[in-house]
Amino acid sequence: MKILVTVKRVPDPETSIKVKPDGTGIVTDNIKWVVNPFDEIGVEEALRIKEKVAGSEVVLVSIGDKVAQEQLRTGLAMGADRAILVLADDLDPLGVARVLAKLVDDEKPDLIIMGKQAIDDDSNAVGQMLAELLGWPQGTFASQIELSDDQKSASVTREVDGGLETLSFPLPGVITADLRLNEPRYASLPGIMKARKKELKEIPVADLGVDVTPRVTITKMEPPPSREAGKIVASVEELVNLLHTEAKVI
Amino acid sequence: MELLFTDDQLAFQESVRGFLQKECEPERLRKLWETESGRSPEFWAKLAEMGILGMTAPEEHGGLGMNEVDLVLVLEEIGRAALAAPVAETVAVGVPLLAACGSPALQAEWIPKVVAGEAALSFGHADTPFVHDAHVADLLLLHAGGRTDSDIAVHAVPRGDVTLVHEPGNDPAGRLYRVEWQPSPETRIATGAVAGTALALAFDRAALAAAAQLVGIAQQLVDLAAHYATQREQFGRPIGSFQAIKHMLASVQVRVEFARPVLYRAAWTVAEDTAERMVAVSHAKAAAAEAAILAARTALQVHGAIGYTWEVDLHIWMKRAWALDVAWGTRLWHRARIGRAVLDDSAAPSFGYSARA
Repeated sequence: MKILVTVKRVPDPETSIKVKPDGTGIVTDNIKWVVNPFDEIGVEEALRIKEKVAGSEVVLVSIGDKVAQEQLRTGLAMGADRAILVLADDLDPLGVARVLAKLVDDEKPDLIIMGKQAIDDDSNAVGQMLAELLGWPQGTFASQIELSDDQKSASVTREVDGGLETLSFPLPGVITADLRLNEPRYASLPGIMKARKKELKEIPVADLGVDVTPRVTITKMEPPPSREAGKIVASVEELVNLLHTEAKVI
Repeated sequence: MELLFTDDQLAFQESVRGFLQKECEPERLRKLWETESGRSPEFWAKLAEMGILGMTAPEEHGGLGMNEVDLVLVLEEIGRAALAAPVAETVAVGVPLLAACGSPALQAEWIPKVVAGEAALSFGHADTPFVHDAHVADLLLLHAGGRTDSDIAVHAVPRGDVTLVHEPGNDPAGRLYRVEWQPSPETRIATGAVAGTALALAFDRAALAAAAQLVGIAQQLVDLAAHYATQREQFGRPIGSFQAIKHMLASVQVRVEFARPVLYRAAWTVAEDTAERMVAVSHAKAAAAEAAILAARTALQVHGAIGYTWEVDLHIWMKRAWALDVAWGTRLWHRARIGRAVLDDSAAPSFGYSARA
C-alpha cells in the first residue's frame, strides 16, 4: 500500500508571532520552524498503517522553499520511506491542491493523509480541494482510521459538532487528520541517521506544468486586538446589567 | 578538528528533549519517587526504542558505536529533564568499560541486552563510596584492590551476588547504595595496567556525564526562574522587569554559557582520549557544578518563599544539582587535579594549558 502524506513547514506553535509593520507578512527572524503538527499526526498514522500492512510505502510531500527539506528529514527520521519537495513560492490552497493532484497522477498512491489544516494560515481547504480535483472520496477531521483487511476501503471516524460521525468509503481516498487521531512518535537516533540516506527528490513547480496562479491574495495582516483586563462583578444582577448596558450582547 | 555539532547530533538532541519533556513531567517524576525502586521498566524500554541505550555500544553488538561527543548533548537533556534512570551509569560509563575490559563472551551476553532495554549497568569506583542505581543494575562493574598495577582490578558482578545497603541522599529521585561484595577470580575481568587505565577513563566518563547533566540542570533552573519572574508580579509589574532580578539571572546564564564549551571540549578529549583528558574533565565538572549551584541558589531567591515548598517543582532540579555537585569528585577535588596538572613541571604543553617552562 502506498500512502502519500503532506508535510508543511510552519512556525513552531510556541513561537511568539509578530506581524511586519507594513502588514505584508510575519517577521520570520529567529523563528523556529517545525512540521505542521496536524501533518505530523498524519505521518504517524501512515507509519502505523505501514507497520500493520506489509510492503507499504510512505511517501512525504512538501511544497515550498528548499529549507523545507529540514521538515521532510524529520518525517523521514520518524520512519517514512522517501520524500518529494516541490520547489515553489507561497501557493494558495488551490495551487497546493493542483500540485498535489499532479503528484498523485505520477505516484498513484492508495491513500493520501494530510493534516486537517496547517497552523500557519488555518485555511483547512487543501484536503477537500484535492479530493474534488481527483474525484476521490474524502474523510476529513479524522479521529480514528480503520482499513478493511484487503485495504480496499477505509472507515473514518470524524469529530463533528455534537458527536462523532463514521464514514466508510472505497480507496483511493483523501483523509485529513485531527488532533486526537494519535500521538506522533519522536524520531529515534537510528531513524535520524537513516533519514540522511533516504531519497529526497526536488521538483521545481514549473516542471509539473500545473497552473498555480493564485486565486487568493493576502492584502494585509494584522495582529489580533490585545485582550483587555476583565472585570469582577459582585452579583448576577450586576453581570446581567453590564452585559446589557456595556457589552450590549443581551 | 570539527568544532560544530553535526545536524544529526542536534536533531537527536531536539528529539530527545521533546521525548523527555513529555515523559518526565514533574507529576510523573513525583509518582516515581513513591514507588519502591523509583524507576520505570517501561520507560527504560522507551529509552532503548529511542536509541539512547545503544549509543555507545559497539556496532557488532547492535549498538551505534558513538562516542562522548555524540552523547554529551543527550546527557545535557537528561539533566534538563531530571530523568530518573541509570542512563549515565549504563550508557556513558558501563557499556564503554565493559567493551574495554569484558571478555568477548561477557560483552556478547550483556551489551545486546542493554541496547534492547533488557538490562542496566552501574559502576562503583573506590574513590566514590556509593553506587548509583545499583538496585536496578543487572550487572555491576566494580573497582577492587588499590591503585597500583599489582593489586588493581575490575570485576563484573551480577546484582544477585552482592548485598546492597540503601544510603539516603539529597535527591528524592536518587538511589544510592553501598555495595558489599567479595571479589573472586570468576568475576574479575581486568587487572594491572589494563584495569588501571580503564578505571581512570571510566571515572572521567562518569564525571563528564555528571558535568553534562549539571549544565542541563543549570539551564532548566534559569528557565524556570525566568518563567516565574515573568508571571509573579510585585508593585504592579512582573518581578522580572526589575534589574535586581534580571541581572541575577543574566549572571547565571553567563556562567552556563561559559561552562558549555568547556563541557564540549571535555567530551571531545574523552572521546579521543587525549593527553588533556583529565584536566579537561575536571575543568568541565567544576565549571558545570559552579553554574548549577549558582543557578539553584539564584532560582530559589527569584522564587522567594514559595521556592522552599515541596509542591513547587524547583526542588526537583535544585536537589539534583546538589547531589551531582559532589558526585564523581567535588569541585575542590577537581580543582586540585587541575592544579596538579598545571603546576607539574613534567606536564606537556598543549593548547589551552601551558606548563611552566
